[in-house]
Amino acid sequence: MKKSSNPSSAKKILVVGLPNTGKSQIFNNLTGEYAVVANSPLTTIEIKRAHCRIEGQLFDVVDTPGLHSLYIHSEEELVVRDAIFSERPDVIIQSIDANRLKQSLTLTADLLTTGIPMVISLNAVDETARKGMWIDSDGLSRLLGIPVVESIAVYSQGTKELKKAVGRARSGKWDVRYGDVIENGLLSIESRLPEDLAYKRAVSLLLLIDDPFIADYLKKEYGDVTCARLRKEIDEIKMQYKGNISRVIINRRNRWIDDIVDEVVKKQKVSLEGFSQSVARLSRHPVFGIPILLMVVCTMFFLVVNVANVASEWMNNRLWAPVQGAINGIFPAGFWHDLLIGDYGVLSLGLANALLTILPILLVFFLMFNTLEDIGYIPNLSVLTKRLLGKLGLSGGAIMPLVLGFGCKTMATLTTRTLRSRRERYIAVYLIAFAVPCSAQMGLNMSILGRMGASAFLLFFSVMAFVGTVAGVALNKILKEEEAKIAFIQELPAMRLPSLKAVLKKTYYRLYWFLKESLLVFVYAALALFIIDRLGILDATKRMLSPIVEGILGLPLAMVDAIILCFARHEAGAGLIINLVRKGQMDYVQCIVAVIITTLFAPCFANIMAMAKEVGGKRTVAMLFGIGVSALTVAGSLNWALVALL
Amino acid sequence: MNNNKRHKEEHLERLWGMREAGQNSIDILKETVNGLFDPRIVDELLVEGQVELTDDKIELTEKGENNARRVIRAHRIAERLLYDIFGGEFETGACEFEHTVTVELIDGICTLLGHPRECPHGMPIPEGECCRRSAKTAHNVVTSLTELGIGQSARVAYMNCKGDRQLHKLNGLQVRPGAIVKLHQRYPCYVIECEGAHIAMDEEIVSNISVWSNKRQFKPVEKKSVESERKGRHGWGRLIFGRKKQTGF
Repeated sequence: MKKSSNPSSAKKILVVGLPNTGKSQIFNNLTGEYAVVANSPLTTIEIKRAHCRIEGQLFDVVDTPGLHSLYIHSEEELVVRDAIFSERPDVIIQSIDANRLKQSLTLTADLLTTGIPMVISLNAVDETARKGMWIDSDGLSRLLGIPVVESIAVYSQGTKELKKAVGRARSGKWDVRYGDVIENGLLSIESRLPEDLAYKRAVSLLLLIDDPFIADYLKKEYGDVTCARLRKEIDEIKMQYKGNISRVIINRRNRWIDDIVDEVVKKQKVSLEGFSQSVARLSRHPVFGIPILLMVVCTMFFLVVNVANVASEWMNNRLWAPVQGAINGIFPAGFWHDLLIGDYGVLSLGLANALLTILPILLVFFLMFNTLEDIGYIPNLSVLTKRLLGKLGLSGGAIMPLVLGFGCKTMATLTTRTLRSRRERYIAVYLIAFAVPCSAQMGLNMSILGRMGASAFLLFFSVMAFVGTVAGVALNKILKEEEAKIAFIQELPAMRLPSLKAVLKKTYYRLYWFLKESLLVFVYAALALFIIDRLGILDATKRMLSPIVEGILGLPLAMVDAIILCFARHEAGAGLIINLVRKGQMDYVQCIVAVIITTLFAPCFANIMAMAKEVGGKRTVAMLFGIGVSALTVAGSLNWALVALL
Repeated sequence: MNNNKRHKEEHLERLWGMREAGQNSIDILKETVNGLFDPRIVDELLVEGQVELTDDKIELTEKGENNARRVIRAHRIAERLLYDIFGGEFETGACEFEHTVTVELIDGICTLLGHPRECPHGMPIPEGECCRRSAKTAHNVVTSLTELGIGQSARVAYMNCKGDRQLHKLNGLQVRPGAIVKLHQRYPCYVIECEGAHIAMDEEIVSNISVWSNKRQFKPVEKKSVESERKGRHGWGRLIFGRKKQTGF
């Protein structure tokens, strides 16, 4: 291909690999972009693209979600396979976690079948070295017939070598044969496949082992007739073959894998059980796991209260108060005063709220949360919560999306596509929207409730747990069982010591994205409130809602502003609540009720869009209605109960 | 199967045979070993302390002898079994067999056959633990993975998968016959380790994975780990996570 800067001549690199093997990290290293990385599976759920230039040649780099093999287990894997089949990449970089070389070789075998030029990036070689495991990467390269590059992607080691290796990428050696009946069968399927279909052998193999999606793909692309013909052919081969074809193919391939691993992996006979392994074990231990979880939550709470809140107050007093004073001096009252620094001022409710109140809290919280993500603590929670969630009608796969919801609800909602049972998907999407506070919500809730003391937070925590459980049980009863439960198999990431650089970088990007997405939203929302206030609509609304807000929820009418802001951006609403607390307009009970209602009531806009994408518009509306009614019921009865008790 | 290991076993087996015939010359080993003679294998055996080499004489050490005895015993017991049952061709089957079975399985078969002393060729079968204790009953050699003690490892014998989908999924994680798995915890959810990765799974799947038992069969079965496990079940775990159907014990 001619070298040029024209993007249309760009070659395509697809980064693929098992979940949690560092694909996004490689993508970041190659392109200089930033895609969120975490020590957890399901971090990347959608395909990302960026350009990079290697030795003058422009490349289109594509980051993909995790893939175990070309045989598909869930829809997010299907996205990757479709990307391989339809985009016909020029180079595939397979990202392999050196700790899990053996597991990765199944995918390698599949990719070699396609004949696409490949490079292997052998990641985390520092960890294997520490574990007393040595992988002969040159030997591996020789056996597979493709370049193998050692790397420590987290520290960006090996990126230069990887870039060089991309130029040397080629189709590897694949000489495994499955015996006459299967081989002849494959040939005859291949010959019946449409002319223009790529990777015929790989597709035939998938058809033969009954991949759940490949037939649909062919039907969509080439019509029913072709498919029916193929179906007949495949059935005939199966009749001819006595025995389970899948098993034979798997066994043959496993022997190939064993031979390779025997040859290239040397293990020390004795090695210290790693510190990280013991920590991982403790964190999911039935007895020690729960205190550890509580300790983690408590630490976060106390840091938010004692560091973030203090910083936020300090900034308000030192940075905002002088500005406010100055503007007061210029516009003592009137339109400009109200527009800039009034109750709904674009500076006070908009900028200062975002930058001085919210930002420091998010900074502290994200630092801690990203550290937990980097350690790999969060996926281990799926073990602790498994039994509880089973009671909510969520078997297996739904656990990870729910657990990930504590990070970002939008992402978590998107990951529910890994669930194959529609019923479970609805329950999970609903619970994520309703009862799981995302990391930003959690941080801000901690900050608000921390001002009322730890008991307020404890109360909030228990109420949320209770509400989530009840909602799950209820949904479980309402939605009828439609299919057999799918068993739970979840790989857990090994814990590692957090890398300061990675944590700082991620915190920076999360805050940057927060500001980029919502700083203007804060300002516009303040402006909108200012306008409807001037027009008298706000007062009318408040009067109309007062039986609910004041009567049922027992909150000050000013909370209406916060709820409206919540629809724009949850953080903006939280900022207003913090202001109300500062002004002494909220008491202990009101604070808890306000936090509960804003947490339950308002999934953010992005979350709602993700819901629509996963369960459809109509169901999203129904769910939002359900969420609204149940949020009001919960918050109302909580108010009643707390007032009666305290 | 590890090719290197198989190759070593062939060499050890031959050395045992040579000793029975009163031979110890390395040249005879070179000529008669099953498969190809490989000086690298001899070097490795030397490093591991399984053989001793003086001039052109090669001898098994105590360690090498123990390993050779195990292989020879497996081979000859297998011959006995195949010969007694099928008559006819038994050599090829026995050759495959000797490298793959566990000591426990061999002891089980030995017991079922009434502790035979000689192979069909008339060569002596080395005694096993079962023969020394004149065991009368054979024990289960394959048990469910759920019955392993916490922290114990075992080799997967076979799996009853619910359809090919699950087979592919487990295979992708390298949980498959021949793989070594370690049970890490049962509550609140099963966690096993396989090929360096930790995997959480439902009990339903774990109970369908059968492993070669490595309980010492002829001593009273050690139940300590199982007991302490059971104690754990009546404590906080049950209070928090609810009672669960017990399997196995």
